[in-house]
Amino acid sequence: MGQKGSKIKITEQDKAVLQLKQSKDSIHKYTRRTSSLIDEERQQLKSLIKENPKTYKQNTKVRFILKRIHYQEHLLDQASDQLVNLENMLSNIEFKLVEKQFFQGLQNGNVILTKLNKEFKNIDDIMDDVQEQIAYQSEIDETLAQHVSGVNNYEDEIDKELDVMELEIEGKKETNVIEQIPEMPSIDKLPELKDATKKEGTLHEPQREKGRQEPALLA
Amino acid sequence: MSLPAIYSFPPLYTRQPNAIIRNKQIDSWINILLQYSKIEKIWELDSNGIFLPNEINLFENNTINRSVNNTFIKEILDRMKSDHQIIYNNNNETNTFFILWKNLDSWASLILEWFETTNKLNQVVTFYEISSGDESINWEFHSMPSYLISKILQILVKRGRATILKDEYNKDIAIKVV
Repeated sequence: MGQKGSKIKITEQDKAVLQLKQSKDSIHKYTRRTSSLIDEERQQLKSLIKENPKTYKQNTKVRFILKRIHYQEHLLDQASDQLVNLENMLSNIEFKLVEKQFFQGLQNGNVILTKLNKEFKNIDDIMDDVQEQIAYQSEIDETLAQHVSGVNNYEDEIDKELDVMELEIEGKKETNVIEQIPEMPSIDKLPELKDATKKEGTLHEPQREKGRQEPALLA
Repeated sequence: MSLPAIYSFPPLYTRQPNAIIRNKQIDSWINILLQYSKIEKIWELDSNGIFLPNEINLFENNTINRSVNNTFIKEILDRMKSDHQIIYNNNNETNTFFILWKNLDSWASLILEWFETTNKLNQVVTFYEISSGDESINWEFHSMPSYLISKILQILVKRGRATILKDEYNKDIAIKVV
């Protein structure tokens, strides 16, 4: 039984409510008993009046019973008032418990909300971090790209130097050689794909110009 | 209340020798007892089949001047015992029974229904409120003895729906149903 009982908790409020209800029950019992007593005495009174229709007013027993009835009724009134008070108290407690639940709900919601907000703060940090990382990554990319282009330039430079050496050997001017090289394959091999060749041409051009400038700088 | 016509039939009061007929006779008696207790809201009877607390004895019919002898009453009550239509009231010293025109499980379900329809779940409710409170007046279990109520509520506890609260003398007096 202990195991089964422990499944459902009995709180302090439950115990308090139980005590209130016990007193409410005993008052309820009392009012029922008293009202049935009053009924009985009324019946008794009526029969007494019937028995002596003329002299009943002088009968002390009749007067006594009527007084008793009045007194019992007075007590009954009091008991009913008390009962109402107890019932009010019980419903107040009940309502307070509901309010408590409502309050707890609000509190819990607030706790969760602040917790979530805190988590979002962390996320801000992370976002900053990510931003930094992205910036760093693009820096790396840039550096790498520069490096790669540097290598290309270096290769170009070597090409140029070789060209210069070739010119020196063959006695020709370098500008003629450079302009002839890109035009020859684009016209002969791919005549239909004009757009593609144009694009290729535009792509190649800056490199070529760079290539042209490089030696000038060197010189 | 008007009892069924068979109640005024003299052979009902004599133990029939034929087993098949006797079985039917006992069935009729059980039917009469259950019907009567249900309508008059009688919860208890003693070992001689006399209804308590007003000592109404259905086995004695003065209008037709017949009565059932004690041995046959015992036989009828034994049948009711084995069919769980009466159970021992082991609350007091006297040898009395509770009469159940509904079995204990049905009573438990009905009380649970009351808890649900009157919004009394998750609240402390005293046995007195169940049996005598103003809110149970129109329910069949109103006026049920509190010991029988506590017996029935044990079923709800076993079903895991309730827990019993005790008073300062360690007596079961209230229940909390969830």
